[in-house]
Amino acid sequence: MKYNLELIKNKRKIIGFSTVLILLSLLGILYSTFNTSYKKPINLGMDFVGGNELRIERVCEEECSSPPPETVLEKLREISKNKNVLNNIKLQFQNNNKLISIRTPYLSIEESNNLINNLDNIVGPLNYESKDSRLIGPKLGKRLLTNCVTSLLVSLFAISLYITIRFDKKYALFALLALFHDLVIVFGIFSWLGIILSVEVNSLFAVSLLTIAGYSVNDTVVIFDRIRENLKSKKEGYNETIQLSVNESFRRTTFTSITTLFPLLSIILFGSYSLFWFSLALSLGILVGSYSSILLAPSFLLKD
Amino acid sequence: MKKRQGWLFFIIFLLTLSVYLLINYPLQLGLDLQGGSQLTLQIIKEEGKVTKDELEAVNSVIDKRVNNLGVSESNLQTLGGDQLILELPGEQNPLVASRVLGKTALLEFRTQIEGTTSDLKNLQLQRLIIKELIEKYSSAEKSQYDDNFLKVIQDDLNEIVQELNYSSTSNDLYGKLIEIKKYVDKEITNLFIKTDLSGKDLINAGRRQEQTNSNWEVLLTFSNSGGEKFSEITKSIAGTPQLLAIILDGESISEASVGNQFANTGITGGSATISGNFSAEKARELEVQLKGGSLPLPIEIVETNTIGALLGSKNILKSLYAAISGLIFVGIFMIFNYRILGFVSVLSLVLYGFFNLALYSLIPVTLTLPGISGLILSIGMAVDANILIFERIREELYDGNTLTRSIDSGFQRANSSIVDGHITTLLSCFVLFLLGTNFVKGFAATLGIGVLISLFTSLNCSKTILRFFTTYQSLRQKNLYLPRNNFSN
Repeated sequence: MKYNLELIKNKRKIIGFSTVLILLSLLGILYSTFNTSYKKPINLGMDFVGGNELRIERVCEEECSSPPPETVLEKLREISKNKNVLNNIKLQFQNNNKLISIRTPYLSIEESNNLINNLDNIVGPLNYESKDSRLIGPKLGKRLLTNCVTSLLVSLFAISLYITIRFDKKYALFALLALFHDLVIVFGIFSWLGIILSVEVNSLFAVSLLTIAGYSVNDTVVIFDRIRENLKSKKEGYNETIQLSVNESFRRTTFTSITTLFPLLSIILFGSYSLFWFSLALSLGILVGSYSSILLAPSFLLKD
Repeated sequence: MKKRQGWLFFIIFLLTLSVYLLINYPLQLGLDLQGGSQLTLQIIKEEGKVTKDELEAVNSVIDKRVNNLGVSESNLQTLGGDQLILELPGEQNPLVASRVLGKTALLEFRTQIEGTTSDLKNLQLQRLIIKELIEKYSSAEKSQYDDNFLKVIQDDLNEIVQELNYSSTSNDLYGKLIEIKKYVDKEITNLFIKTDLSGKDLINAGRRQEQTNSNWEVLLTFSNSGGEKFSEITKSIAGTPQLLAIILDGESISEASVGNQFANTGITGGSATISGNFSAEKARELEVQLKGGSLPLPIEIVETNTIGALLGSKNILKSLYAAISGLIFVGIFMIFNYRILGFVSVLSLVLYGFFNLALYSLIPVTLTLPGISGLILSIGMAVDANILIFERIREELYDGNTLTRSIDSGFQRANSSIVDGHITTLLSCFVLFLLGTNFVKGFAATLGIGVLISLFTSLNCSKTILRFFTTYQSLRQKNLYLPRNNFSN
């Protein structure tokens, strides 16, 4: 099987397509920063702003009744003491009304226990063995955010440094361009997800960005390695050699992405809910990363 | 050939060792997989950084308190220089632990300033009223919780506020009650002056039920010098209207007079009792706090995670499904595309899985959900190296090289790309591990270990297995190594 991607012919289309993607991402980031209630480039989740998240299952004989969340909230307000908290409560029933999921501002453990007791009175009995409760103070949230941003910057710097030492300047620059392209697009997609579906990002999102960074550079490095190798034994013209190298490594890069996507798909399908958005972010990153490694980064190298 | 056989035995030996390790040293599961509570404690320091000594001191006090709590298992770690992480496996309600641990437990003994008797009496009365109001408000049934009820409390509160000449800043009723109680406590404490006796002079604490009613009291045992100080202090106020206050974290928990009979010697015997209408629970909490000593710096509980046991076991099951189905998908894909070579990569993947898990139990790495996702993700990366090599081998075969030669140079030529790719991922893992939270560290650790092991399995194990296969004549046909459709034309 020989592949024949017409890289030289399609250079403009590829760069144009990426530019559109980047612009759309930046649009999402800007829209999110100025036009949403949270006024941040991305919808920051509990990890970063603090708060209380509770998921607990109800014990139902057959089917769980479906009380409208509003009524439950109304009752919760009636019996709870801290009014401030209850004005900012988000409540959802999932999984055929079996699962209750609640988000509130930060509560003390005592207040959180009260909330659960009240909930038990209203829509109980609850299965305490299925409880998943997280309380994060606002102070810790801020710190986590700083930590995540620092990790991202430090490791991007480390990767850039490594690539610059390892390759000539030109290659390094283009590999990094492709890397930032991938990160901006994944970030942008989650900005949009935040705007449209109020999807929040937590510390695992930062982890996924970091992993994508490592992965995307890896893919680009393999193709650039191949290009360098072929350029040394130059049989054809410069542009043709690049196109040939890309086609030679096409199988490897797509196959690798597929074998990495399979496990991620398994986590999305079968894994715990807390890993859902994480796996999705990684999958998107790997898709965008393969595209930029195969098509975008080598296009940069082509001469007009 | 001899050398390769040596490798084969070495790999078999490693596999046996891994299985042995896994049977004898089961994997440590994180709280998200076995259920339990995790508290993150933040040390609060107004100025400057928390020093190593201070961190150690806080750590040891917390450790003592946790031990005295009598929980069956616990794990206390420091994090990032000014945080502690306490894990309580199996604990479903960390309320008691949080109350006991969160307090500084600074115990002071103070004597009353002369001539403040009437001031104190007044404040004590206000304190009583406000305590009752809080009690009434908290224990109210929802049916009673109407405007009228709120108005009664509000009116009572207003009276106290007028009496105290203090305006609260909180705008919610409950917040106001708490704020005013704090103010009264502070005012009471201010009527007493410090002595040189403190919690540091204790050598033990205990509790017992009072004989006359069902309340509990807490017993304090002083060291020798503490006992002397205590008798000095009690001697100085014996028979006067001045009271002795025992103050915990700025709140007076007991004010008592010292009888005239102690005027000569003070209270001797080196022990004291605090009887402040404690419930059994409160008495136990105080006992644990006093036994552990006071914290050199205050702490705050900034994060609490609680996960039910059932949810934990569900998470294990889900992760297992995800890991196994991921492996199967990858396996089918590889065998379909690379035939014999694919089978080799599946074998080395299985080895990879065993080596990884064995290393987790050896180091040990506590397995958490993010950790498992790191492991599952690294499966894909481990296969990546194999794909690189196999593609190279095929190219060599297309070029008309012999099988053995193709295999050799395939491994050799893919080497540098593989190492490069792994290094960038390792860099990310390293940074994540250094800067990440506990949660993130789990992922970084398993992914990092995975990347390292995959260097060994994909370079060495695959090669050895492949070499072993090619010793059989029937497995040496070139077409077993090339794609089916390609060979037919």
